Formats: sequence, C-alpha cells, structure tokens
Amino acid sequence: MKHQILSRPAASVAKLKMDDGESLTCEVGAMIAMTTGFEVETTTRKKGAKGGGLGKALKRMFAGESLFLNHFTATNNGQSLIIGPRMLGDVLHFPLTGGSLIVQGSSWMASDTDIEIDATWQGFGKALFSGESIFWLKCSGEGDLFLSSFGAIYEVEVDGEHVVDTGHIVAFEDTLQFNVTKAGTSLIGSFLGGEGLVCRFSGHGRLFCQSHNPPGFGKALGPKLKPR
Amino acid sequence: MIEFSCPSCSKKYRVKDDVAGKKARCKECGAPMPVPDVAAATSEAAAGMDAGSSEVLTGSTPHFDYEISQRPDFALISINLEEGQKIFAEPSAMASMTPTVTLKAGFKGGLGKTLGRALGGESMIINTFTADNGPGEVTFAAGATGDAARYTLTGNSLMLQRGAFMLHSEGVEVSGKWQGAKGFFNGEGLVLLKASGDGEIFFNSYGAILSVDVTEEYIVDTGYVVAFEDTLNYNISVLPGLRGGSKLKTLFFGGEGWVCRFSGQGKVWIQTRHVQSFLSWANPYRPSTSR
Repeated sequence: MKHQILSRPAASVAKLKMDDGESLTCEVGAMIAMTTGFEVETTTRKKGAKGGGLGKALKRMFAGESLFLNHFTATNNGQSLIIGPRMLGDVLHFPLTGGSLIVQGSSWMASDTDIEIDATWQGFGKALFSGESIFWLKCSGEGDLFLSSFGAIYEVEVDGEHVVDTGHIVAFEDTLQFNVTKAGTSLIGSFLGGEGLVCRFSGHGRLFCQSHNPPGFGKALGPKLKPR
Repeated sequence: MIEFSCPSCSKKYRVKDDVAGKKARCKECGAPMPVPDVAAATSEAAAGMDAGSSEVLTGSTPHFDYEISQRPDFALISINLEEGQKIFAEPSAMASMTPTVTLKAGFKGGLGKTLGRALGGESMIINTFTADNGPGEVTFAAGATGDAARYTLTGNSLMLQRGAFMLHSEGVEVSGKWQGAKGFFNGEGLVLLKASGDGEIFFNSYGAILSVDVTEEYIVDTGYVVAFEDTLNYNISVLPGLRGGSKLKTLFFGGEGWVCRFSGQGKVWIQTRHVQSFLSWANPYRPSTSR
C-alpha cells in the first residue's frame, strides 16, 4: 500500500494506492472517492475476527468512534482510495512497527486491517477530567495508521516530562505514561487561567498534538447557533 | 526521522536523521540495507502519485486574465479586465475591485434559466461586472473557506453541484438541470447546475479540490462531488463489491450512504471536505431550548 497526504494542512486527505488483496479498515464515513475494484464490508469487529466483536465495538463507541467499521479490500492491482476526516485539519501517517500507539478517540481515521484496535480504559479520574473521550484507542501491530486532527499536527519528542492541555492530544506512544493534573500551582488559578486540567506525560517516546481543541471551538460556536 | 523499508523483505523502519546514508542490517531477514537520506525517503513515499497543490493558478483567456491564489484553503480569484470586458458572478462573491469597474445586478438568461438556477441552489440574480472606465481588476472569494477551480467550455457542458457556481465569462449560460429520480438519492438536491456554451467558468468548494480523470469507472461519495463533465454518465447507488445481504448494512451503518458511480470518459472534481459533516459535528454544541 502506497500513500500520499494531499492538500495539507487544513483540507488534508490521504490518497492510497492498493494492490490486489491489500485491505484497509476505515472510520465510518471516511471514504471520499475510489476506483471500482474494491470490496467493501461493514462489521462491528476487526476484519476476519470471529466472535467477541460486540464488546470491542461498544467500547469503540464510547471512545467517540462509530460502532461499525468499514473494510475496503482491493480486488485488483492499482486501485486508489481517497479518505478524509470530517473537520478542517491535517492527516498524519504513522507506520506502526510492532509497538503500540494510544490514539485519542476521535482522531483515529483508518489503519491496516492487521492492526489491532482496542479501546482502553485509562482509569476513572483520567477519563472524567481529560476533557476528551472516556476511552482511548490502543492500536498495536504492524502497518500503516492514519490519524486526523483539528488544526495542524505537531510532534513532541518527550524525554522526561511534558505537559499538554487535555483537548490537544492526538496520539502518543505507549512508552509514555500520563496523569491528569492542574495546570498551575493552585486549582482555582488553573481554572481562572482557562487552562483547567492538563495531561502530564512522563517517560520516553513520541507525542502528537493538535494545534486546535475541538470542544473549545464547539463551545465558542454553540451560543451563536439556533437552539435545538 | 527517516522512514524507509528493507529492500528485500520490505520491513518498515524509522530511524533518527543522524544515521542517514549509513549501512545497516535488517533485523528481520538479515539482508544489508543502506539507510536513505531524508530527501530520498520522502520522495520514495510519494512515488507514482500526483501531488495536491497550493500553487497559484494563472492564465489568460480571450475574455480576461485570471489568477487563483491562496489555494487550497482560502482561494481568491483575481480577474483582470480590459476596457469593455465583462465577468458574471453570483451575488456577494465580490471581495474588492478597482473603481473603473461598474456592477449591475439583474436576472440573466430569461425566466426558465433563472428559475433553474434557483432550484440548483443558486441565487436568481447574477451580478455583471464591466470595465467601463478603463482596465480594471475584480477579486472574488466564495462564502465557504476552500478551493476554487476554472474550466473552459468549448460548446460542451459542465455539471455542477448545488452552490458550487461562482463566476462565468461571456458566452456561458448557467441553469438548473432536473436529475429525475437520481436526484432523490444524492442527498444534495434534485437539481444540478448545468453550465454550457463557449467560455470560462469558475467554481468553488469546501476544502480542497482534486481533479480526477475518469477513463472507465469511478466512485465518489455524493456529498463530495463538485463538478463533472457531461461526457460522463452517472448513477446513484450503494457501494459496490458488497456481498449479498451486506448491502443494506453498509448503507445504513457504514455511513457512506449513497455514492455517485461515474462511467465513460471525462473529468470529475471532488472536494476534500463536506459541509454537512462539519454541521453534524457542530450540532451537539447548539444550545437547547428549555421548554
């Protein structure tokens, strides 16, 4: 599978060239356009897996993803598929080589069908206060992983400690640990400063952040919209 | 970071920049492999694919000279008119202009074409910009953030999605075209816009525009179609290649809904974002009425 990220950074899409038998699992609704040599399958579980799908699917739903996954399998050589996220923002290609990447629930867009996607529970405190979804998706195995962001994506090489505002995390390598703490020295000060709670990462590994915070934008936009 | 794969077993590696050009041995198959330098690694990943572009598009036509800049996120179209030349635009598309240009609003193309445009999601009014008092420049930008593209009509027709029309030169007519039963399913409206004649047409998108040359068949999600040449046939269907029984499942749960299946020879323009999916993301943030 060959890939290319087009029209970066605000309107990014991933264009994939796939040969016979290669297959990709996508978030529901990610497909924009494609050639005709694909077989498409919608399931609640990993392609080819037998049973045990529903629990994972439910967890995925809590992670801000859909209950369902779409699997695109090329039935011919030289097929092309274009996938893109919902929001204005960038697409990140991450080649997984055996390790694990923890992805913020709504940032996952697509991955090689060989990659195991499991929603992980990060503990009650972390879940409640991290401001994002309760679950994170743990992607492990070998293959290509495509993530999306709201705004631009930037990478931080963490060696020691790093602090990120909760809404700005896209993904991080599982060699990193994190806990949720207040941003300033006092709790009230943190909230008055508008930063609220932050994630404090420690260890050694790569961390991907997004420049903009989707709930932040939503809250700014909300009051200006017609009531439901 | 350099990403590359082993030439013999294609296991993928990610290494630090400072080992570029050094020799290494593959952990998987033991074959010797050179670590490429940064530039080579990047071009390998992009091999065999056309790039999406942010380049400024310029050109001259018999009607005027144009430039499309700030692509693909905030496309701005500048039209340079010689004295007496005209350009026709949808209302409120104009961003700025020199004082030599006069603007006249009006219906164009008679009642049938005007109503057709209205059904195609456009305004009934078309603004005419004329360089009456010497050469002038008019700049245009669409309502949504996104890209813009240009197409030259030579007696053929271009079909445009609702709301995609921006500008046209003299010699072009824009009207609505009833899509029949197909329209019910495409989710975007029953009427597409049809531009025909001899001249230039500019259209816009939400997100970037990618153009695809269709030679046999091509599938696009209905929400992402911006325009297509009328040499292409299309029909609305669910995703193909589904096994029996799973068609309905993908339609209702797969989120891809209906797709446009193009066939024949011609060009399709697709946009990389869909306003509707942004709106459905924003919807939960709307205040709720407490009644």
